[in-house]
Amino acid sequence: MDSFFIRYRNLVVLLTLLVVQIVGLAVQVRRTGAGRNSLDPQDGASVRLIRLWADAVVTPPERLIHQSKMGIVGMWQGYIDLRHTQAENQELQKTIDRMRLEQAALLEDAKQGQRLQALVNFREKYIYKTVAAQAIGASGSDQSKVFYLDKGSADGLDRDMAVITPDGIVGKIRDVFPHTAQVLAINDQTSGAGVILETTRIRGILRGNALGQPQIVGILADQRIQPGEKVLTAGGDLIFPRGLPVGVVEKIVRDPEPDRDGFIDVIVKPAAHLDQLDEVLVITSTESRFPPEQEKDLATSEALKGPEAAAIAEQKKASAIMAERLPGLIDPNLPPDQQPLLDSSSPTTLTHPPMALHPDRFTPGGIPQPKADQPSADNTEAKPATPATPPRNPQP
Amino acid sequence: MTTLSGEFRRDLEVRRYPILVYALAPLVALVLQAWLPRFFKSYAWFDLPLVITVYFSLVHRVPIQGSLMGAGMGLFEDALTSHPIGVNGIAKTVVGFLASSMGIRIDVENHTIRLGLTFFLSLLSSVIYLFVYRGVLGLSQEWSWLTELFKAIGNTFIALVLFPALDRLQIRE
Repeated sequence: MDSFFIRYRNLVVLLTLLVVQIVGLAVQVRRTGAGRNSLDPQDGASVRLIRLWADAVVTPPERLIHQSKMGIVGMWQGYIDLRHTQAENQELQKTIDRMRLEQAALLEDAKQGQRLQALVNFREKYIYKTVAAQAIGASGSDQSKVFYLDKGSADGLDRDMAVITPDGIVGKIRDVFPHTAQVLAINDQTSGAGVILETTRIRGILRGNALGQPQIVGILADQRIQPGEKVLTAGGDLIFPRGLPVGVVEKIVRDPEPDRDGFIDVIVKPAAHLDQLDEVLVITSTESRFPPEQEKDLATSEALKGPEAAAIAEQKKASAIMAERLPGLIDPNLPPDQQPLLDSSSPTTLTHPPMALHPDRFTPGGIPQPKADQPSADNTEAKPATPATPPRNPQP
Repeated sequence: MTTLSGEFRRDLEVRRYPILVYALAPLVALVLQAWLPRFFKSYAWFDLPLVITVYFSLVHRVPIQGSLMGAGMGLFEDALTSHPIGVNGIAKTVVGFLASSMGIRIDVENHTIRLGLTFFLSLLSSVIYLFVYRGVLGLSQEWSWLTELFKAIGNTFIALVLFPALDRLQIRE
């Protein structure tokens, strides 16, 4: 027996290694109710420990390299390359002032929306608190689109928190360690984000394909979906707040599954530069109220607008309310450009009622035949003090 | 291709390296594999841990050592991904074993043969990876063979530069 193991020790070791790893894999995969196998989203304790060890080995050198790079870049940008800084600063200040005014208007609308939502017991969640983090490393595998952040649970990060940039969504935190976090990007094949097409309002699930492109999978073919349409988060996945930019439709392809005729995949060009991520924001808290910074900005914006602008806004609001209360003069059956009130081709804005089938003396424009025992129309007009008929509209 | 008996090849030359090379080469490969794709973006067509596994397995010609090294490197790579731990481990275990076994049988001093082996073992690693992921685990995974081909070519180019550089680090008596 000993000689067998010694003779075939290479093969025995190989088989042992393979069997141990296969058993380890079997523990990590579970069977779903639909009869398919799927990876357990929550790593077991032993698997998590292995990931923690690997992270502890790789992260310190990555952090060192990243900090060195950022130091050099910061030194270059902060001390050496300062050309046009003054002009840029002035331009940015103007932009900030302009955006404050725009923000004030938008926040006013949002507040009104909040009041309406409260009436229907629906609460919109706003990004209340974010933590800025640096991307310091990747998975190293083109089959797994994950990357690592330099912040972890010690900084308030947790699993399933949304990771975004000002341009658009990036992914969600898959695993969190004390000082690092692993982010699953939206172009990974195992990711999933609820999205909605802005114009057509078609909903779907976004995930990555083999080439690392995010795509909305398994939606019914629809001629209205065109390249260039914006894609936003739908808010139903409880990870990404509603309305965040995801990207634009790049192209539409047929679903590659053979038994899914009539379904399409929509390839999305992501709004965030997933390949060039340096700094990202992790949404650590969403609330149904505005964060203090936005409230402060709102107050500043209102102060900048001044009382005059506020009075104009009040007048506009009052006009809008009055317009809602007044009866409409718009024909819902006609397209907007043919509405009588908006038709500039007609010299007069007055419309005439249709002719009555059986005109009588009360019919506008009607000429009833005078009866013998009644006074004529001329006689009636001769006695204006006691008018028997309502005044008639003059005929053109 | 020169074919020699296993014992003869083993007696012909036993390469030894400074302990620092054994410790640092795999570590640097793993760190760079995790860091460089940030710069190469979608064009990161290389697998440095696989190249290092092939190199040390070929020059040591001990299948147990090659298998263990492959398993270690593969498991480490898996741990950095979102995939189950062990898929890469199995692929690189087989690669390490085969590279060591070939190191016994064929003349691996020939640079062209080493490059050819690197290319072949890279493709084999991809095949095993896909087989384990789809066949054994039954998980769905889209796959691009073109990318895997590019990766094998990239590994061969890296081996073209790295193998002679590592050859220079060996202890010569």
